[in-house]
This record gives sequence, C-alpha cells and structure tokens, in this order.
Amino acid sequence: MPIFRSGEFKIAARLCAVLIAALGPRIAGATLGEAETSVQSDVAQLRASIKTSEDRASYRVHEIQLPSGTVLREFVAPSGTVFAVAWHGPSKPDLRQALGKYFDAFVSAPKLKFADRRHLQIQQGDLIVQGSGHMRTLSGRAYLVSAIPGGVSLGDLQ
Amino acid sequence: MTLMRAFRAGLGAVLCLSAISCGGGSGGSTPPPPPPPPPPTSNVASVIVDQGPSGNSVNTLFTSITVCAPGSTTSCQTIDHIQVDTGSYGLRLIAPLTVTLPVQMLASGNSLVECTQFVDGFSWGPVALADITIAGETASSLPVQVIGDSRFPTVPTGCSGTGTAEDTVATFGANGILGIGPFELDCGDCDTNAAEGVYYACASATSCTETTVPTAMQVSNPVTHFAADNNGSIIDLPAVAATGAVTLSGSLIFGIDTQSNNQSGTETVLTLDGMAELAITFNGATLANSFIDSGSNGIFFADSNIPTCTATGLTTFYCPGSTQTLGLSIQGANGAMVNNLTFGVGNTQTMLNANPTFNVFPQLAGTLPAGNAGTFDYGLAFFYGKRVAVAVEGNMTSVGTGPYIAF
Repeated sequence: MPIFRSGEFKIAARLCAVLIAALGPRIAGATLGEAETSVQSDVAQLRASIKTSEDRASYRVHEIQLPSGTVLREFVAPSGTVFAVAWHGPSKPDLRQALGKYFDAFVSAPKLKFADRRHLQIQQGDLIVQGSGHMRTLSGRAYLVSAIPGGVSLGDLQ
Repeated sequence: MTLMRAFRAGLGAVLCLSAISCGGGSGGSTPPPPPPPPPPTSNVASVIVDQGPSGNSVNTLFTSITVCAPGSTTSCQTIDHIQVDTGSYGLRLIAPLTVTLPVQMLASGNSLVECTQFVDGFSWGPVALADITIAGETASSLPVQVIGDSRFPTVPTGCSGTGTAEDTVATFGANGILGIGPFELDCGDCDTNAAEGVYYACASATSCTETTVPTAMQVSNPVTHFAADNNGSIIDLPAVAATGAVTLSGSLIFGIDTQSNNQSGTETVLTLDGMAELAITFNGATLANSFIDSGSNGIFFADSNIPTCTATGLTTFYCPGSTQTLGLSIQGANGAMVNNLTFGVGNTQTMLNANPTFNVFPQLAGTLPAGNAGTFDYGLAFFYGKRVAVAVEGNMTSVGTGPYIAF
C-alpha cells in the first residue's frame, strides 16, 4: 500500500526539494579547513560515494567518486581538519562545496599574468589553488599552507 | 579595421597561392586542352601569433573565421583573433556578435546552454547553430557556443561553482576559440551523463538544469564537419629566434593527404591515448600524461632545480640564471618515438624586460604543480619551426589512423 497517493508524493517531493535547496548552502560549507565530518556532507552534497579511505603516515585520505567521473580526494590532518582537496577527471568538482569558506577568496584572486586556460595558480593568504590539464582531463588541488601536517610532501597531494 | 584588412590580405594571399599552383602554361596548339579539373578547395588559413585582442597574449595562435546564420549568405560576420587550439574541441565565440545565431532546442523544448570548463575558469553560453567558413572550408549548421550571450545571463550555481567566468574578450584573451584537437566532441560522455556539469537545459533564461544531450547537438570539432579535408589539420609555423619576435605568421592547413599541400611524408606518427595524451621522457622520468598543445602558452613541467621568478604574476614561470638547454623524448601510444629533442628555458623576467613588445617567446617555460609529476605540457613553442599534423580520432590518413600527432 503506497504511503502517498501520487499527488501527495509530488507535493512531498517538491517540499523535499525546497527544503534541500533552502538548507543546502547552510550545510557546513564542508571540506577545506573544516572538520573531517564535513567529508560526509560533501559526499551527500555532491551525490557521490566514498571509494576508499586510507590512512597514511601523517594524514588520512578520503577518495570520493563523483558521478561526473571525476575523483575528489580530501586530505585530513591528525587534528581532524581537512587541509587539502585534490581532483582529477573529465570535469571539475563543485569547488564552492569543496573549498567551502575559501571559495570566495579563490574566485576573487588575481589571475596569472599570462593566463592560457590550461593552468591555475592562486595564492590568497594561507590558501593555494593550482590546476593544470586540457579539455576532458582536468586536475587541480587546493590546500592551506599552515595546516599541512609535518612530513607531508606537496607531491603527495594529488 | 586593420585586422579586417589583414584577413582580406591573408585570404588574397591564399587565393593567389592556389592560382599559382593551378595556373601553368600549356604549350600545345592543335588539340583542345582538356577541361581543367575543378579547383581544389582552398584549405589554407593564415594564422598569426600576436598580442591578441586583450593586448597581453604571449605564444597564442590566432586565425579568422566567417560565421553566418544557417542558410544565409548575407547574415554573416567575419571574426578575427579566434584562438587556434589543439587542446580543445569546437568553435566558441565571445558575444556580442553582429549576427544572430539560433539557439539549439532540446527535444524537451528547453534551450541548450553549455558550461565549458577550463582549468582556470568556465565559459557560459548557449549552443547555437552556424554556417562557418575558414579558408575555403565550410561546415553547415555546426553547433557552436556563444559565450557571454545576453540571452542567457544567469549562470547556474553548479557552473559558477567551478571557478571564475571567462565570458568577455578581456577575460578570455581572444574573440573566440577554434578547438581542433584530436577528438571530435568536447565531452566524452555527455550523451548519457548529465553529471559532467557541461550541458544544461534551460526552460527560461534563469532556470537551467544539467542535462544529457545527443552527440549531434554537442559542440564539436569543426574540421570533422567540413565537406572536404575533414580528417585533421596541419599547423605550419616558421622558426623564430631564441629571444623571440613581435609576431609570427604561418599556415593552418586543413586535411591530411587530401590535397597536394597536405601530404604526409617522413614524419613520425605518435598515436594518442584516450585522454589525447602521450608519454614524454624528461629528466630521467617518463611522464605518461603529457601533451603537445597549441593552446598552452609556455613549456610547462616540474623541475625543482630551476628557480622560478619572483615578480608578481610570474611566480609560476622559470627564471634561471642563464638559459638552460634541456632534452626530452616523446613516445606515442603506438610505441613510436622521437628522441633527443632539445628546448631552451630562458629567464622569463629577463626576456620580457629585454623585449617588452614581443609576443612570441620560444623559451618561455613554467612550472606544473608539484603534485602533477606525470605531466609535461609542451605548448605552442613546440610548433615553432615545425609542420605538425593532428589527425582526429577514427580518421585515416596515408600514414595512420587518428587520434595522432605527427611531425
């Protein structure tokens, strides 16, 4: 026996959509600079799934498979803070979600003197965002310089 | 106006060249000469490296293209400074245009609008239909993107969440871009996967949601839509002094082995993988995700032994104490190799200061993020002094099947 008649279901679905839309931006900005629990809200917001969670020497990596085909990795320090995110795949992740409160600094930062649509290098205070690639294959990462745990090489953050 | 004249002059030069190659005295007297063969399609477009419409481009290759409303011979516009890019797919034009191009409608009745994703930003605008002409080549009812089109001013949050907007000539650095890389489509799976966030269905100018889109409606490599000379293209640029030059002019030749001027010879054919990439061996490491790309304005690689520049905006470029000469080898997915190529890495600040009016810098090189150790990105400088063919996937030439790059 259906819980809703179809008309009721439609109304309920619309209500849900409105609620999600209203709550969406307020769900903890998630990720960069946030607590590890924000990884789960990223997964929900990005309609994604966690592929692997791996403990490395001085940090933990959650690898999130996005429905676009892109893989997003979130790096968590022993303190429990997400100190870096990195992506690779056919399209970029929602950086408003992945960069959280740092997104505005990211988009307002000055670009390189010679921009060419293939490279990205932004430094705004503690935040560094980098990218490279070409159409159909894009890579990038964002990290907080002061939050990188000791012993972590920048080359690991990919 | 100057640019229009330059374009007309270029067109004239091309016509002149074909006239020279077609002309030829016939000495005989009695038998009537056979009717001349139909003139081949003029397949050579002029290209130039210059400062670009934003005034600050370096190592950026431009051409001109004529765009008409579908089926019209009068509602047309010739646009100069369209960037020639082997690292993307499809023609994109920066609004406003003087010609009105009809936006494609999905079966749902919604308008098709695209969020083109570049590494450093996005370009939002509808996918419209146009008849395009470049040199003598034409593609009819080609899906092209009109970036920054006032008909769709509102960027969905899913699109704006990928970075900063590149929707004006100033932010884009060109009046448009001609993506003629080794693939046909600008998205690998957008016919079945809306989650790429590339294509949107817009019920109104302000209401857009991600959508799948049939491949025939997607923005795609114009070369593959030409009536002839549609299996690839060749970029032919002269060599340039190590210190650079103000401008550099050359040719963009359409087709491979389709006419007398685009025949394959002794070049090495390097096939490309599913990412349009190949392997470059450099500093003893094989970088499997490398690419040769007319749309990159430098030579980009990671080498912690070369100091980077300190000037604002240049900190990702190299500034060695003296010019470095380095070597590399390139290997295609087919195993074919080109060994022992060398390239120079100049001091970016010194070269810019020495010649502030230059726009061509063959020794401009920069870093890649340290995490991106598997890539060497060899930009437009690779094409200087070379004739480089790019064959599109699935297309045959006398020496191979695309996707490949040959030089």
